[in-house]
Amino acid sequence: MPDTAIPPAIPTVPVTPAVLDALRGIVGDKGLILDEQGKQPFVTDWRGSLVGTAAVVVRPANTEEVSRVVKLCHDNGIAIVPQGGNTGLMGGATPWPTHQGILLSLGRMNHVLNVDPVGYSMTVEAGCVLQTLQETAASHDRFFPLSLGAQGSCMIGGNLSTNAGGVQVLRYGNARNLVMGLEVVLPNGDVWDGLRSLKKDNTGYDLKHLFMGAEGTLGIITKAVLKLWPAPKDVCTAWLAVRDPQAAIEILSEAHAASEDNVGSCELMSRACTDMVLRHIPGTQDPLKAETPWYLLLEWSSSRPRQDGAEGMSEKMEQFLADQMEAGRVLDAVIAQTEAQSRNMWRIREGVAEASRAEGPGLSYDISVSISKIPEFIDKGIKAALDILPTIRPYPLGHIGDGNIHFSFMGPKDMDRGVLKQYSPAITRAVNDLITSMAGSISAEHGIGIEKLDELAHYRSRIELDTMRTIKRALDPKNIMNPGKVLRLS
Amino acid sequence: MSFNASDFVEKLRSIVGDKGLITSDQDKHPYLTDWRENYLGTAVAVVRPASTDEVAGVVRLCAAEQVAVVPQGGNTGLVGGGMPHETGREIVLSLTRMSRILEVDTIGYSMTVEAGAVLKTIQETAAAHDRLFPLSLAAEGSCTIGGNLSTNAGGVQVLHYGNARQLVLGLEVVTPAGEIWNGLRALKKDNTGYDLRDLYLGAEGTLGIITKAVLKLWPKPKDTATSWIAVASPEAAVELLSGAHAASEDNVTSCELMSRQGVDFVLKHIPGAVDPLAEKHDWYILLEWSSTRARRDGENQGGLAEKMETYLGEAMEKGLVLDAAVAQNEAQARAFWALRENHSEAQKREGPSIKHDISVAVSKMPSFMKEGLAAMRKALPEGRPVPFGHVGDGNMHFNCQGPAGWDKARFMKHGDAISGAVYDLVVKYGGSISAEHGIGRLKVDELAHYRSKIELDVMRTLKRALDPQDIMNPGKIVRI
Repeated sequence: MPDTAIPPAIPTVPVTPAVLDALRGIVGDKGLILDEQGKQPFVTDWRGSLVGTAAVVVRPANTEEVSRVVKLCHDNGIAIVPQGGNTGLMGGATPWPTHQGILLSLGRMNHVLNVDPVGYSMTVEAGCVLQTLQETAASHDRFFPLSLGAQGSCMIGGNLSTNAGGVQVLRYGNARNLVMGLEVVLPNGDVWDGLRSLKKDNTGYDLKHLFMGAEGTLGIITKAVLKLWPAPKDVCTAWLAVRDPQAAIEILSEAHAASEDNVGSCELMSRACTDMVLRHIPGTQDPLKAETPWYLLLEWSSSRPRQDGAEGMSEKMEQFLADQMEAGRVLDAVIAQTEAQSRNMWRIREGVAEASRAEGPGLSYDISVSISKIPEFIDKGIKAALDILPTIRPYPLGHIGDGNIHFSFMGPKDMDRGVLKQYSPAITRAVNDLITSMAGSISAEHGIGIEKLDELAHYRSRIELDTMRTIKRALDPKNIMNPGKVLRLS
Repeated sequence: MSFNASDFVEKLRSIVGDKGLITSDQDKHPYLTDWRENYLGTAVAVVRPASTDEVAGVVRLCAAEQVAVVPQGGNTGLVGGGMPHETGREIVLSLTRMSRILEVDTIGYSMTVEAGAVLKTIQETAAAHDRLFPLSLAAEGSCTIGGNLSTNAGGVQVLHYGNARQLVLGLEVVTPAGEIWNGLRALKKDNTGYDLRDLYLGAEGTLGIITKAVLKLWPKPKDTATSWIAVASPEAAVELLSGAHAASEDNVTSCELMSRQGVDFVLKHIPGAVDPLAEKHDWYILLEWSSTRARRDGENQGGLAEKMETYLGEAMEKGLVLDAAVAQNEAQARAFWALRENHSEAQKREGPSIKHDISVAVSKMPSFMKEGLAAMRKALPEGRPVPFGHVGDGNMHFNCQGPAGWDKARFMKHGDAISGAVYDLVVKYGGSISAEHGIGRLKVDELAHYRSKIELDVMRTLKRALDPQDIMNPGKIVRI
């Protein structure tokens, strides 16, 4: 838990032996985990920093079972924490230590129900692992673009409940943009069948978008109809040394037209960030022997295969980089000539989280501002942090095309976790104050969960918080659905 | 509570001034009837605030006096969402004086506007900055962005850019209590609680009044290819589109299906309309690809038009395409588009018709068309089906023209039978009875009939929670 957090008021009705029997009657022994050792991985978040409790972990096999479990809990006032792959970063799927109710894991509901290549859609259960969905789409010559570090274990239900981001948002949008329909079990156990494969449907309030990003506090997503795209057939990846963040956003601005709207990813990395990965991740190699402070990983992809004698993505990229070098924005650049070179570039970008753990204690903020304000934010944000702790080591990186920076710092050399922690509240406040003054977001993609509950309350307007509370109270009057996440009700 | 209308009007005047108030019957009239003249409502006054603060002030007054507020933009809706009721204590709140473009951010690809800005003005402003705002529909010369967003408008570019809700980053909304929610964030990513923005978008003004928006912009297309294609069936159309995504490098921006019947009406009624192809065919597609990359001189590869010709040539060999014409210049492209865009006008001139704005999954479109046309003919054998629309979105304007020579009254006797047959089939196909036009007043009962009780209950719960007095555009979408 964040050290300062006071647990919010949540329902504390216990799971009685009678309720347990009723649960067993719904999901069977196969769907129940009761022993402490078995429950441990579900009640602890993956970083091991949050530890909660649950009377029982319930693992239903289908929507009908989810519905009956929720109805049982609703009738008894028992709190429910829904969980997918348990890879969240904000504790949204981890019970509070005061939790007395159940943890409902969607992991057994992992079937791909239908793939419609002509209609470019796929219907899936909430417990499907993201990577399985990517592979299923690929086997039908289609593309499901959601892509993020945890894809080997995160589940689509969690991705949608947290409106996950990742490295393809620039082109395809956040998770909520990849969805046509949902099935949701409501807090009273009713099943809302909004599982429509429709691109257009203007029939009243858009409930689907309300449940996506709600982190399981308004209902449990049990199935989804996902959009598919044509599979990329011609991909070009490049590593650019750029003049500064301002040059980076100008490069991106011009890349849209030069690539014919085929910019797939555009990731900004600082030298400090690259060096940290090279230090800790075996097998990574610096793509450019440059000592300049800023780099861009730029990837263009087209679903049209290269045709003989015709210009492909790499020729377009070469022309573009030459133009950008002439304009003084690109200092040096290399285009991946092989799959291995491209993988190395991506490994550097994706290895940051792992490298930062190896490097030692640090601080990280998942923020967004409007794209044109990124340079100003980075500049002012680093100054603000250095004012508080002059020896802290910034290594900013992020999805620049989305205005999303992972604004990260390594602790000063030889400073231990405990000492760094003393500086953390002041730096957090300074960074979040700056974001707010620039009309940005204090959580661009990771959500609120437990970790940012009080930060959100501090920075969002009373009207916005009140509106959210009104919606929560209206749809979940007993406050049993993932209580104490996103919002405090009182 | 006793209600003194003239006192109330004076209180309104103190908020918006004389300039912001319309009280005479003659001046109110255009705000009280829709352009199809299906409705003629009444209102204590038409109020035209000049700022968000004035909107909030008016709503607070109405909340205190329990007067309902009917928000209205350009009044081009097709389902009466912006129409007051015939009886009732209501005002029309027109956003049309709030029409400013507040900011254009070319590097950040965004634009901040007031709700009353006319769509065409927004498109032109974007173009002047070498950017594109892709929302495009027939009423663009008079519809306003606030109405477009409140109804989650569709149009001819949805296939590539999405519905109106996909074109928005942030909103400012006046709540039913008269408070101002400032969600005017120009952020592509913001996972901080419930997505209020998407709740207000498409709510047809029943949960609050959109007063400002941050819109997304795109690079302006520099190379466009347009073709008029004869196909044997809707099935061939769907297959042709499916392959077109890759062949165009994901640059398909429009794909509109038309029937011979609809094209015949256009050729008959619209002066200057010409059939682009020598022979008659049952089905046509208007296919458009656009790219933001300008053609460069001396490249060994042509632009989109050459790519499209190659693709259509291959499709012809496979029998998917019967005949096709690729526009050789802008005038030809415009002529192709005129055949599509004049469908509604030509139908109006031909006589009475019944419109169904429906959608099904794209891959189910061919079999739906087959069954739907049969169902329509069974309901009225002399009726003349005119299906046309956005096949790439699974969205058809599945219309039925009255038999030749029938007047409206005679034809409308069969209206319920025809619509019932169509909507029953739509529901059987898991489709939508209103793909882009919304619910408004027109389809309240149909929605109540076809949607599950659970879904309607959730909507009612939200409406009651956010507008407990039921003063914000009451009686639209769902009955409380």
